[in-house]
Amino acid sequence: MEDIKNTIRIADRIRDVLLRLKHSRYLELARQLSNLGRELQDLTAVSKKMTVALAHDWLSAANDCCQRVDRLLSDIRYSLSRIQQFAEAPRKSVPTLAALVEDLDQVQEEFGNFELDNERDAISVSTEPISLEDVDLGPFRIQLEIGKLAELYYASPYRVIALEPNPASTDQSVTHPHVNGERLCEGDGSAAIQAALEEGRLCDFFTIVRSILNTYCPDSPYVPLADWDGETCHECGYSMSSDNSYCCSFCENSVCEECSTYCRSCEEIICLGCAAKCEVCEEPVCPKCARVKCTECETVCCESCIDEGLCPDCKEERKAEDEQQREQVAGTSESRVSSDSQADSKDVRLAG
Amino acid sequence: MRLLFIDNDGAGFADYVHVDDGMTVEQFFNEKMPGRKAEDFLIRVNRQPVARDHVLQKGDRITVTPTKIEGAA
Repeated sequence: MEDIKNTIRIADRIRDVLLRLKHSRYLELARQLSNLGRELQDLTAVSKKMTVALAHDWLSAANDCCQRVDRLLSDIRYSLSRIQQFAEAPRKSVPTLAALVEDLDQVQEEFGNFELDNERDAISVSTEPISLEDVDLGPFRIQLEIGKLAELYYASPYRVIALEPNPASTDQSVTHPHVNGERLCEGDGSAAIQAALEEGRLCDFFTIVRSILNTYCPDSPYVPLADWDGETCHECGYSMSSDNSYCCSFCENSVCEECSTYCRSCEEIICLGCAAKCEVCEEPVCPKCARVKCTECETVCCESCIDEGLCPDCKEERKAEDEQQREQVAGTSESRVSSDSQADSKDVRLAG
Repeated sequence: MRLLFIDNDGAGFADYVHVDDGMTVEQFFNEKMPGRKAEDFLIRVNRQPVARDHVLQKGDRITVTPTKIEGAA
């Protein structure tokens, strides 16, 4: 008996709110009509300016008018669609109390549970545990805040709460591929959800939300299921699966393919943050191998570019110096040999 | 005969439709949802699950809700 009384009380509360929603629908329609009026006035004003601009051959001014017209037409199209949406609304009457009670009974039958939270002024149902592509997401509570139904056209009146959260490893607020911060991104279900709530078809509303939670749309999730247990690249923040991550052997952070490279000296994997550069060939080297420097000019060199402790430029210089020294030595030897032979000749002459 | 048909697929409209007397739920579904499979939907008549050969009556309320609806981000 208490349950029946509660159900009737809730149904009555919902009916009150739906009446307020109807009122807010008319208010929103009036606001949208007023917007449209202003936009049409702006269009008329631009039209007059365009006439003046053309009369004076002011083509640049005419071009500005064209752009303004284009923007106004987009705004007007949006206003028209909104107005049509609200103008259709009067055909949808507020359900009777009996219809709402029947609907709440159906919620109880379909979901096997239905809770009323007096503090939050909300009614909730829980789903079965949801598993999508072998990722267990646990059961969810769909909590409809009755008072917020009246603000349906401005804010979402319900939340989707993970009861045994298994959020994406890269974002704790994403508890389902299409739920972020307890807000469901309704996608294809958006129009049906709004229609169900406007008409007080609460069982349909809960059923539609449950259908969305039971479906994975790989084209537009907050976090793809393939990356659910993945990691965030330490360099760029990209969300990546564990199979596609690389561990920097220097800092031990996980990075994505784009942010990883390997040291050309020791061939260890490193992240771009740790990578230094060989100043000769400009190839990446790890911090350890970057300590190898030319003994003359201290240029950082990789193994390929350093030769006997020297960078190629210093090696060339050293070679040139050695060459010069050899020539000098050779020159000295020749002149010594020449002066020796002259001395010998002199000796011979003196002897002769 | 006149029935209330609530189609929660797409725009989610609820409207009265006219069908032949003696039409079954299965026939109604095939007519209103051509090319779709009944197994992909939750079908309720007067808020109750019914067999596919259930014969519809005047004034019945039929709800059809997809079991899979794609969300987004």
